[in-house]
Amino acid sequence: MRLGVIAWLMAILLPWPPATASAQDATPPDVLVSRHLAEAEDLRVGSVIRLALDATGTKAREFRVAGIYEPTPDPSRLGQVPRSVRLHLPDLLDMTRPLDVPAGAEYVASVNVALVDPADAEQFARDVNARLPGVLAQPSGEAAGSAGPFRVLERFHLAIAVVTIVAATVFLLALTIMLVDERRETVGVLRLIGLPVRRILVQILLEGVLVASVGAAFGLVLALLSEQLINLFFQWRYDTALVFVRITRDVALTCVAIAVPLGASATVVASWALLRRGGLRLARR
Amino acid sequence: MNAIGFAWRSLVRQPARAVLGVLGVAAVGALLFDMLLLSRGLIVSMQDLLDRGGWDIRVSAAELPGSGLRVPNALDAADSISRLPSVQAALVIRSALARIDRASGRPIRASFQGVATRSTHPSGSRLRAPWTILRGRDAAGPDEVVVDERIAAESQLEPGSEITMRATCVTDLEALPATRLKVVGVAEFPFQTTNEHTTGGTLDALKTACGGNVGHDADLILVTSTGDPDGTAGAIRGLLPEVTAATNREVVGRLQQTGFTYFRQISSVLTTVTVSFAVLLITVLLTVSVNQRLGEIAALRALGFSRIRVVKDVLAESALIVGIGGVLSLPLGLLLASGLDRILKGMPGIPVALHFFVFERQALYVHAALLTATAIIAALYPMRIVSKLPIAATLRNEVIG
Amino acid sequence: MIVDARGVSRVFSMPAGPVTAVREVTLQIRDGDHIAVRGPSGCGKSTLLHMLGCVETQTSGTLLFDGQDVSRLSDARRSLLRLRHIGFVFQRFFLLPMLTARENVELPMSEAGLPRAARQQRVRELLEYVGLAARADHRPSQLSGGEMQRVAIARALANGPRLLLADEPTGELDETTGAQIAALLDRVNQSGTALVIVTHDPALANRASRVLTMRDGQIESEQVA
Ligand SMILES: Nc1ncnc2c1ncn2[C@@H]1O[C@H](COP(=O)(O)OP(=O)(O)OP(=O)(O)O)[C@@H](O)[C@H]1O
Ligand SMILES: [Mg+2]
Repeated sequence: MRLGVIAWLMAILLPWPPATASAQDATPPDVLVSRHLAEAEDLRVGSVIRLALDATGTKAREFRVAGIYEPTPDPSRLGQVPRSVRLHLPDLLDMTRPLDVPAGAEYVASVNVALVDPADAEQFARDVNARLPGVLAQPSGEAAGSAGPFRVLERFHLAIAVVTIVAATVFLLALTIMLVDERRETVGVLRLIGLPVRRILVQILLEGVLVASVGAAFGLVLALLSEQLINLFFQWRYDTALVFVRITRDVALTCVAIAVPLGASATVVASWALLRRGGLRLARR
Repeated sequence: MNAIGFAWRSLVRQPARAVLGVLGVAAVGALLFDMLLLSRGLIVSMQDLLDRGGWDIRVSAAELPGSGLRVPNALDAADSISRLPSVQAALVIRSALARIDRASGRPIRASFQGVATRSTHPSGSRLRAPWTILRGRDAAGPDEVVVDERIAAESQLEPGSEITMRATCVTDLEALPATRLKVVGVAEFPFQTTNEHTTGGTLDALKTACGGNVGHDADLILVTSTGDPDGTAGAIRGLLPEVTAATNREVVGRLQQTGFTYFRQISSVLTTVTVSFAVLLITVLLTVSVNQRLGEIAALRALGFSRIRVVKDVLAESALIVGIGGVLSLPLGLLLASGLDRILKGMPGIPVALHFFVFERQALYVHAALLTATAIIAALYPMRIVSKLPIAATLRNEVIG
Repeated sequence: MIVDARGVSRVFSMPAGPVTAVREVTLQIRDGDHIAVRGPSGCGKSTLLHMLGCVETQTSGTLLFDGQDVSRLSDARRSLLRLRHIGFVFQRFFLLPMLTARENVELPMSEAGLPRAARQQRVRELLEYVGLAARADHRPSQLSGGEMQRVAIARALANGPRLLLADEPTGELDETTGAQIAALLDRVNQSGTALVIVTHDPALANRASRVLTMRDGQIESEQVA
């Protein structure tokens, strides 16, 4: 059983009076505070803080800041500055235990269990449910119920990307049709000279691939430049370590893999439509 | 023939270009429209959700939900709140973890909301619980509950069925007692999230389910004022300094500042990107098209068409492409929005009745304004080309070239 | 007097140095004149024609159209002047391919703000005049070169101009068709419109009452028939 049960308390920070005399030598228990809390309250490693259950100071206790941590960013809590404190579970239980509950009889909201073999999760949950009537065990995939926020955002972005690509394709086709149209006379002359359609098509395809590649490269450079800007802006805006845009090698390759064939085939489709009309008609407007 | 009629003829002259241009604008416009719906969707939807219940003020122990803190001595608090002259009614909501046994399969984990109304106002007792009855009737007795559609479906329950429930109201580890409760209705809980199960009943029913032990605190007290929510919230804060009282407007305001601002930001980023994309492409489309017709345009100028007239023709063509595409983008956008909404609602912790994309008339106006700007900006460069066109040199080039 | 050009020149400044296309030409055009301009390629015929037609401005000299100094007019006023008083016929016709013959002829009239009924009446007359009444609803692509040029002439006459300018109107046509166009232009001139035709075609030039021969941007000689 993993004892990495991390409970957090919405701490109410009481201003700590300057240390009068270190009468109690017993060092206070360690806590971790989030970077945001540390920044807001000017806390450093070694600072001693007092945590209480409410503003009136119920069950106030001293703790020593043993470290400052960056909270795991959660996109669905974006904009909420995570001012949180992590306590050792026994310390938390000591503070929150009702008067009439003996030590050791507290409750926790949940216990995460790591199994040796994750495939046993279903069976394990059934066993626990059968043996411990007050407890509900659920495989974690199911407990999440639906996809996590990151997954959902990923799907959302994918959907938007698809729409963008569709729109881009449509525009691209419109442009290539016009560009090819503009060169109908050249193509007409080539046809009249007697160049076979295939030769002309190959020529156009090569040109399309070249243009599409240059375009894709340009797009990537633009994306890489804006990546930094967007991340800096949003990290500043939300005071989070969350990375908003990351262009990985895979993303870059996917983009190129979509853009180049798309551009090239748009050129070919447009030229083919033109070439079908035959050489003579092309030369005369 | 006026500029629009003329532009229409120029457009249909190259049908492939026209159709693709319009379709491209429709797709981009749909995305743009959706981003506008997204930018305020959550706020509008949340406002609607809050207002729908008919409660003006939410009294809780902490600003943020999910802090785990509760309103102490909630019934006494509700009593004193309800005696305020500007209060119609106060509703105490206490929720507990419950577990509903099923004949077959694993038990269902649900939350049980127990409510109790306090009112001294003549019309106060008419106020509803924070759920909507879909079938059957509302729970009234100490052994009656309403369940949501999911529980009803998963346990094959209908009004009249009985369930076995174990609920924990206080913090202890003792084995939960099983209680038999009567299902009297199926209800919709507006703030329920997609992966949650919820049941509701009176506070007495919750007490029954918890084996008599519910304590004195509550998660939330909902208050309906007689018409002045802000003043009433102030009065409540004066009465009970240790709680927070927020009007619906304040809750929405807070959401506007913090919750899901990401979507507002992504919506503004994508709006910018989409509009620039559309501008760029329509500019190229029109520029190429104008360049193909320089001879004709010069000839028209020689025949006496004014500079303004030929510029107007280009603008009209841009307006036609963007206009037709823009009109098409609306149904397309609504369709896309419903799909994207479904994707985003997969996010954990989102109330079922909350929507990310909400139609507002204002969005329509902004959409129209942005597309108008797109049509104008996109036409600027080609308009410049025709306005600066040297007539004689162009006529000469066209003959030689 | 329609046009009174006094010592007009047109110099193009090119990277390789200035090119003088038209050099101090003095020319008067009166109502009903029938003028042909001839000369070797590059001697400045088109440039002169464009200046007479107010689409090109001289770099020196004065050009009066109907007594007004054209170089002083705004672009809008010059457009209006062309619309009302000048017709152009081009070697390559420049009809609008998406419009029918009728619509092509109607275009300058609607730009001039002629009421619809009057427009339709005049379009019919003009198409009849050029012998294409039956082809009114055809697009340029459905017409032959000669027919296209006849539509172009009808369009140039739309607002009843005092001066019709034609740059190689038969340049793209065969001899017979060219002769037909020449005959049509003769008729136009006989009904009172002054005509200036730039052409390499001696048959067309010989129908004019004044034949100007240009060389190196200057009018070398003028023959009056
Ligand atoms: N827009 C221009 N820019 C630069 N040079 C020009 C321009 N227009 C005309 N020219 C030059 O002016 C001279 C006269 O040109 P123009 O077109 O008037 O000759 P043309 O007599 O009409 O010839 P052609 O019989 O071949 O049509 C030429 O040398 C030409 O290169
Ligand atoms: Mg010439």
